[in-house]
Amino acid sequence: MISEQAKQRMRDLASRYPVARSAVMPALYIAQQEEGYITHDALQAVAEAIGLTVDDVESIATFYTMYYQQPPGKKVIKVCTSISCYLRNCDALVQHLEKRLGISRGETTADGNYTLMTAECLASCGTAPVLQINDEFVEHVTLEMADALVDEWDRELKGLGTQSIAPDTQRVSSTRAQ
Amino acid sequence: MPEENKDELVHLTIDDIPVAVPPGTLVWAAARQIGIEIPIYCYHPKMPPLGACRMCFVEIEKMPKPPQTACTTPVSEGMIVHTKTEKVQKARRGTLEFLLINHPLDCPICDKGGECDLQDFTLRHGPGGTRFDLYKRHYPKPVPVSDRVMLDRERCILCQRCTRFSSEISMDNGLVMISRGYKMEVGTAPDHAFDSIFSGNTVEMCPVGALTASAYRFKARPWELKRTPSVCNNCSVGCNARIDVRVDKIMRLMSRTNDAIDDGWLCDRGRWGFEFVNSPQRLRTPLIRQNGRLQPATWDEAIYMLASRLRIIADKHGPEAIGGIGSTRTTNEEAYLFQKLLRGVIGTPHIDHHHGSFPGPRDALTGRPWMMTNSIADIEKAAHIVLIASDPYERQPILNLRIKKAIKAGAHIYIVNEGATELDRFAASKITIPQHGAGMAAKMLLKHVLSGTIDNPRQYEDIRASLEQDNDAISAAGQTFGLEATTQLQHLAETIATSKGAILLYDEMATLAPGCSDLAADVQALAVITGNINRPGSGVGPLVEDANSLGARDMGVLPDALPGYRPAPEKGMAYNEMLSSQGIHALYVMGANPLRHVSGLPPNLELLVVQDIVLTETAQQADIILPAVTFAEKDGSMTNIDHHVQKIVHALRPLPGAKADWEILTMLANQLGQKWNYSSPQEVLLEIAATNPFYAGLTWEDLGAQGVRTQGLEVARA
Amino acid sequence: MPELIITKDIDAPGLDTIEGYRQHGGYEALGKALKEYQPDDLVEMVKKSGLRGRGGAGFPTGMKWSFLAKNDKLRYLCCNADESEPGTFKDRMIMEKNPHQLVEGVIITSYACRVSTAFIYVRGELALAGRQVERAIQEAYAAGYIGKNILGSGFSLDVVMHRGAGAYICGEESALMESLEGRRGYPRLKPPFPAAIGLYGGPTVINNCETLSTIPAIVKNGADWYATFGTEKSKGTRIFCVSGHVKKPGNYEAPLGTPIRTLIYDEQYGGGILDDKELKAIIPGGSSTPILGADKVDTPLDFEAIAAAGSMLGSGGIIVMHEDTCIIDAVLRMTEFYRDESCGKCTPCREGTYWLTEILHRIEHGHGKQKDVDLLLDICDNISGKSFCPLGDAATSSIISSVKLFRDEYEAHVREGRCPFKHRAEPDYPEAGVQSLQAGAR
Ligand SMILES: Cc1cc2nc3c(=O)[nH]c(=O)nc-3n(C[C@H](O)[C@H](O)[C@H](O)COP(=O)(O)O)c2cc1C
Ligand code: SF4
Ligand code: FES
Repeated sequence: MISEQAKQRMRDLASRYPVARSAVMPALYIAQQEEGYITHDALQAVAEAIGLTVDDVESIATFYTMYYQQPPGKKVIKVCTSISCYLRNCDALVQHLEKRLGISRGETTADGNYTLMTAECLASCGTAPVLQINDEFVEHVTLEMADALVDEWDRELKGLGTQSIAPDTQRVSSTRAQ
Repeated sequence: MPEENKDELVHLTIDDIPVAVPPGTLVWAAARQIGIEIPIYCYHPKMPPLGACRMCFVEIEKMPKPPQTACTTPVSEGMIVHTKTEKVQKARRGTLEFLLINHPLDCPICDKGGECDLQDFTLRHGPGGTRFDLYKRHYPKPVPVSDRVMLDRERCILCQRCTRFSSEISMDNGLVMISRGYKMEVGTAPDHAFDSIFSGNTVEMCPVGALTASAYRFKARPWELKRTPSVCNNCSVGCNARIDVRVDKIMRLMSRTNDAIDDGWLCDRGRWGFEFVNSPQRLRTPLIRQNGRLQPATWDEAIYMLASRLRIIADKHGPEAIGGIGSTRTTNEEAYLFQKLLRGVIGTPHIDHHHGSFPGPRDALTGRPWMMTNSIADIEKAAHIVLIASDPYERQPILNLRIKKAIKAGAHIYIVNEGATELDRFAASKITIPQHGAGMAAKMLLKHVLSGTIDNPRQYEDIRASLEQDNDAISAAGQTFGLEATTQLQHLAETIATSKGAILLYDEMATLAPGCSDLAADVQALAVITGNINRPGSGVGPLVEDANSLGARDMGVLPDALPGYRPAPEKGMAYNEMLSSQGIHALYVMGANPLRHVSGLPPNLELLVVQDIVLTETAQQADIILPAVTFAEKDGSMTNIDHHVQKIVHALRPLPGAKADWEILTMLANQLGQKWNYSSPQEVLLEIAATNPFYAGLTWEDLGAQGVRTQGLEVARA
Repeated sequence: MPELIITKDIDAPGLDTIEGYRQHGGYEALGKALKEYQPDDLVEMVKKSGLRGRGGAGFPTGMKWSFLAKNDKLRYLCCNADESEPGTFKDRMIMEKNPHQLVEGVIITSYACRVSTAFIYVRGELALAGRQVERAIQEAYAAGYIGKNILGSGFSLDVVMHRGAGAYICGEESALMESLEGRRGYPRLKPPFPAAIGLYGGPTVINNCETLSTIPAIVKNGADWYATFGTEKSKGTRIFCVSGHVKKPGNYEAPLGTPIRTLIYDEQYGGGILDDKELKAIIPGGSSTPILGADKVDTPLDFEAIAAAGSMLGSGGIIVMHEDTCIIDAVLRMTEFYRDESCGKCTPCREGTYWLTEILHRIEHGHGKQKDVDLLLDICDNISGKSFCPLGDAATSSIISSVKLFRDEYEAHVREGRCPFKHRAEPDYPEAGVQSLQAGAR
């Protein structure tokens, strides 16, 4: 169920752009924040708010990879596997996480806690290998770090059960520059 | 494309053949004009170029990065195009090889086999074989996208014709592209059907066998089909169609582009609504009621019996005791002979058919007969389109597409209706009125327009006067309509009065609703007063119902008009009067079903004869039933909503035992002592042409493949 | 250490706030532009500075601005911050650490091009960058740098941060506009070019994030000053993103014309090859640009010299590979990217990239056939120059160049039936994960 406030936010967005249609992507984000992924309600709500057909919205939602078509875990781990991270042995990191979480890439743990994905170049090649946890960067990831991170998340998850997909931590990346 | 203008043609050569075309023409179209085939998939002449499939490669001298795509490149003066160079052929082979790597090549069981662009272009432009030796992508096949259309994603080449039809032409965005890249597929939202009355066009546009019609799947191979150019019989638009027949059964209707009428499209009702032709319920022999039960009879018996019973009744009660109810679906020739028989042979003035209520055969203000004054194509030129109590999507579907084309061209549409319509979401203003409010809405519009806004109101004193009588009613309506609707109507009136060109349309049958008997006259007046008639992009008139509704009027199947709207010497009874009159003792019904519209038959009826293709409600009551044939089994002409006179041509042999209405009428006339010797509808058309100013001089040959719009003829001669 | 322009104060604490940015002279250029210059003067200035686009094509920025159609339609500016080119990570740094510099560049450019609404299209995956830019915009509104009658100049502007949602193709300017208009990110037919008919049908400027971030410095210090950096035809400095097998990967701003060698080996830059191994290959401008052999290491990094060497300066992403790199596996990794990021609109790119990955995959895993290498080249020939947009061409550049440079390595894979670089046989991985969550249950 999409909340009335969420629908209102979508309508406001629609009026903020020169053409209502432009609001479809931000509106899908709002829907995904509420539902966790693009449900039928999500399509319906966006379609109504922006004045499109559900098929039209589905067509857009499935073009962009950040709109999930299936429920993701509470923690979505995206490991970059593009060329620069590849050269810095990201594959070992992925395999390590697969073992540690007991799932292969693209899967979600049975308890619904973790989804492990591989991602296209995350613009963090200078700090490879790199992963994102719910869209926030962790850079220069070693296998030891990976274990420590999972431990930390496990503790966190035990602490507060379900929580939203995108926490607002303000960590500025350590991308080096001289 | 800009219209031809000799001195501003662009000259180029394609494969060394010189060709001259209007500016803006695409290289693909220029090549086609001189018979050079450039293969295309994503491009469709009725849609803007996309350039996606990369099939239409050509080489153009002095252009960067050869080869170029012919479907996206407009011609330019002195351009030199080559369509057969090694570069071009390699590029085309490359694209075809790409398209085939994941194609299942299940041609033997594919409905498209034999008329498939992928097969044909591969044969003419493709590689000899594929170098792809890996696993092909697989999908469950086929999946229904609606109960009418099936999708086979393995065969799909992702040209986007179907999805772009859905977004660009029918504008209902029901069929879309899902996912992207090599995972891209055609589809809809999960568990959401592609329900569009235009869905059949996507099947016809699909260059391969990806989209198929549940109605046609596995029924025939294209090369087994006998193809007859004809006209759809479903509604008054008269879309040009090709009837494809296999062993005396209609398999499908395909579009037969006529830019003036259908713009290349068919609606699903027309495309797939032909079951009544193939129906086992068809009547195959005349029937005569004997001691209460309908018994088969020979044609001679039936015609003899009918003639003698008509004579007896005429002798006993006079010919005025006989009434005739004609059809909105039979040909002009048959409608003409029907009224000729009743008026000339039997001698009764009582003849009519089921139609909207119009004051007299002609509009008093302009002297024109009641018909849409603008052409279908004119709709594209309108600045404003006003739809009063009408819903083309439901009743004249292909007009809905023309209106959408107008919307794309910048037209504003206004919808005055008691209910919701498909076009509402495009409306500049949707004015929701109370039930049966259309008549009053028209009066309110007229009143606004007459109150001052017009320069020379003197001229319309009489209209103002007659409107005066309704004054109380109009002000009272202010209450029932509510403030919003009344102000909307006020704005609309101003818009119409100041429009560069407005087209005002209402549904013929809406005039039958209580309080709407003046609708036709008032809307016509509205158009005339605001100068929205006889101007480009302007017009007014009824959206008539059936394939030959307008023809029936033209042919004088009316109580008060002879063919060509000449006043009838003696005004006969109208449809409803006849059906309830004490004085009617015999009723001759041809191709109509009054009991669908009225509760009962004339109280003193002694003879009911029905000429039809199935046992309708009315036929079940009949004393004599004469089995007729459908539009698909006979020749003749029909007149569509914007007065195009078009040929229908028999695609099937007549059903054994049944006869064409014109033949039946001729038999009966001769049985009644006439010497009618028409051997074909063509001869009847000559007689019509000689007497009816709207058909003056028309011959069967004149009708050609696309018909002629003859509305102007009367004016021209006068 | 040469003078820095874009990344001058990049690591200064608090630079990402408006006060911090002001302390380092932020928004002075804006004041100067609005007070001392007419829009057209600024266009001339940027022309004179010789600044060329940092997004990939390297098109002269001032000239692009001067192409804007002169009609009564509303004009738009799109900042292309969709940074997704593998090996490129400069725009993200700018947005996260110095978002106000970008915003100031956007405002000045909007003034110069008479734009009334500007959009900053930030790649969806870069959530923090998006938040930083959004906050900078809000602060700028509050400070009166954006909004009605900016600094009393009579110039008014709205700026909107628009988040992408995972599609590399939306970095292509016309696909970016489609995406901004709420559609699937398909590239548009050109002509018409954005400068004539762009966003919402209006004349539109599209510039890269780094390009726009350079504008304030040029306005502040003048075109001639900027033109003193770099080479004859490639002026100024740019951020080179050095990644792969170097000791100190990272973003390094340097004048155009700096030799590749300097950026790889110099202590203040890459600091040499990891484990002091041999250099094997260099990709000079992001994964879309052809691979160069080690012999090209002394090529100066300017548009002309790199082109002459057989590649492109592209997005400035320098990817370094040392001797242990299996070129086929690396190329496979890059080709998979284009397969997954192909928008699917046109046949050659959609089907061709799929086919290419299948073949590379089987070569890498020892199932290759003799004919495969030439087949790869022929498929590339059927894609490049035939696809609708440059993504198709980009997908082929690493393959074509690697076969040219390392054909023997391809043949060794086929001959030995294994990857010579892998000591133990590796398992084949299933499909990339993002896609499989994507694909849904359908
Ligand atoms: C497939 C493709 C992807 C691109 N991705 C980006 C990108 O991520 N960021 C960018 O600034 N330009 C990208 N470009 C270049 C843009 O199309 C455009 O040329 C550039 O943004 C213009 O800005 P500039 O003149 O300042 O470089 C891409 C081009 C193509 C063909
Ligand atoms: S080359 Fe074709 S399929 Fe590939 S991204 Fe461009 S338009 Fe899309
Ligand atoms: S027909 Fe020209 S690209 Fe498809």
